[in-house]
Amino acid sequence: MTRVDVAVGGAERLHPMYFLAGLAGSLRQMVGGYAVIGYLAATGRWRMAVLLLVIVTVATFVGTFLHWRRFEYRVGAQEIRIDSGILSRTHRSIPFDRIQDVNVSQGLLARLLGIARVEFETGGSAGDKDDDGALAGIPLARAEAVRNLVRARRPKGCGLAVPDTSDASDAPALLAMDLRRVLLAGVFNFSLAVIAGLLGVAKTIGDAAGLNFLKRRFWRQMLEAGSPVVDLIMAHQVVAILAGVISLTAIGLAAGIARTVLRDFRFRLDRTTSGLRRRRGLLTVTDVTLPILRVQAAIIGSGPVRAKLGWSDLKLQSLAKDEGTKGDHVVAPLARDPEVAAILNELGWRFPEPSVPWTRSSSTYAWSVTALGAVMATALLVCSPAVPWISLGGVIAVAVLVVSRWLCWHRFGYVLEKDRLLIRSGWWQRRLIILPLTSIQSADVTENFVSRYFGTAAVTFGVASGRGYSSHHIPAVLRDAAFLLRMQVLRSYNI
Amino acid sequence: MTLEIEPQLLAVEPGYRNVLRVRLAAALLAVTTGAIAIDQLLLRATTLHGVLTALVPLFAIISIAVVPQRIYRRLGYRLAGEMLHSVHGWTFHTDTLVPFVRVQHLDVTRGLLDKLFGTASLVVHTAGTHNSTVTINGLSPERAAEIRDVIREHVRSDVA
Repeated sequence: MTRVDVAVGGAERLHPMYFLAGLAGSLRQMVGGYAVIGYLAATGRWRMAVLLLVIVTVATFVGTFLHWRRFEYRVGAQEIRIDSGILSRTHRSIPFDRIQDVNVSQGLLARLLGIARVEFETGGSAGDKDDDGALAGIPLARAEAVRNLVRARRPKGCGLAVPDTSDASDAPALLAMDLRRVLLAGVFNFSLAVIAGLLGVAKTIGDAAGLNFLKRRFWRQMLEAGSPVVDLIMAHQVVAILAGVISLTAIGLAAGIARTVLRDFRFRLDRTTSGLRRRRGLLTVTDVTLPILRVQAAIIGSGPVRAKLGWSDLKLQSLAKDEGTKGDHVVAPLARDPEVAAILNELGWRFPEPSVPWTRSSSTYAWSVTALGAVMATALLVCSPAVPWISLGGVIAVAVLVVSRWLCWHRFGYVLEKDRLLIRSGWWQRRLIILPLTSIQSADVTENFVSRYFGTAAVTFGVASGRGYSSHHIPAVLRDAAFLLRMQVLRSYNI
Repeated sequence: MTLEIEPQLLAVEPGYRNVLRVRLAAALLAVTTGAIAIDQLLLRATTLHGVLTALVPLFAIISIAVVPQRIYRRLGYRLAGEMLHSVHGWTFHTDTLVPFVRVQHLDVTRGLLDKLFGTASLVVHTAGTHNSTVTINGLSPERAAEIRDVIREHVRSDVA
């Protein structure tokens, strides 16, 4: 090997007893094996059970030993190197400058043995299953030495901003929502999901009671009766359907309002010295401070009705996770444009001009789905004599899909400004993404055999955290335009 | 229309074709075995008996002859300015740029097949949710280590 290892210290191994610290975990992994052994023992096949027990034990010990033997780490002047793997080897290099955090943890056994687990957090987003870098067990003194070394090497001033809640409370809030606005936000949160669920329940119950007005047999029986009573029942049926629709709508509305009031009651957003402080909630009151330096992108959301009435919401994509699983921080559930602009202004960002020259995407974005939809609709029509209702439903669904695709295409646009990229997308769920160029971690241009035929490509930007990976995406632009856009976005890196 | 990789892109080690071939062969071996088993055990009585046994191995052999070569031809990488440029994919083509200063940490990995055919993979981890890892397969181990050192130097000078 001609590797330049000058700056890297000698190889070190884990503490030989490291596996004891994680023993509980590895025993838990083998739970299936023990179940089989137990089953064999219980059914009297002792020889098999003992044999299996020996195999499992030996395999565990040999595996652990090989893992220990093949695991080496080196602490260099600039980086930590971790070499691991029994058959397939991985040589990981973690520069000190990228280490955000060093965790030193000890379990009970580890404390008795005087060893500790060291984890390096770099902010890589490969997911939980892949630790950024972990040393499963090294002597505690060494662990602390490594941590101090990393801390000393860390450049000053890039640490986490300390959330301060000691702001002057007399300063006016950036955004404070009164009950009326919370209720209005609730109306817009009208829950289609609840309605769909209730419809399903209603249909199931109706089926059980033999009263399904979607079945032909139901109507035939009704008509065969052929008496004035039928008219009455028919009329009642219509009234019943109408009443059902109204009550379902009311329930959906109530669900949306209840959810929103519980979450956003007394919503208040303040500016603190280092971030934005958000307080909200009726039963569970939450108080979250979002450091401004950690904000990666802003998403202004709206819908057809809300946009017409001049309302929108504002979410910030941040390195810090919001409560729950959602990645984006809601900093304005329902606000007028000047209010959104004021919040963006606190971040040092400009509100997007209404008259920016949007670049549209190619109409192949909609045509490809239209072609697919036409094929599906034809197939459904061919099948229609056999299953008329399913065909009708299918054709309606396809039509909705195609129409919404065209509407989305109509709304879609992007524009590259001096220091940021704006992406406008969606018709029903409208989003306007403000993506500062400095937040972009990587950029892909992707093509497939279909898009290559049309001469288009898609551009996708990698942005840290959030649910954003479906949204920082520009579909179906002409191939050359895609490459040009990417070049311009990354131009500060001297291509 | 053929899509040739851009001239300034560097090709990866020719040995990587063998890695691709062995990997594809292993995957297709399972499929072929399954197909033949189904044909011989379940379809014996039907008129279709023999079709799977004849066609699936043929398809597998053609695939192994054609596909790895095509995939390999579209692999490319280069260090473009202060970015890593990676190109891969035959039917689904992806062209990725990662600025060096966006790299969080780096892996050089070698699996069994890599060792057999003298190749290695460079894996670059970024903070992005999309593209959290960008992989360049089929580099020689020395070249992979060299690129890693180049990127690491950039990561350092970025903050200092």
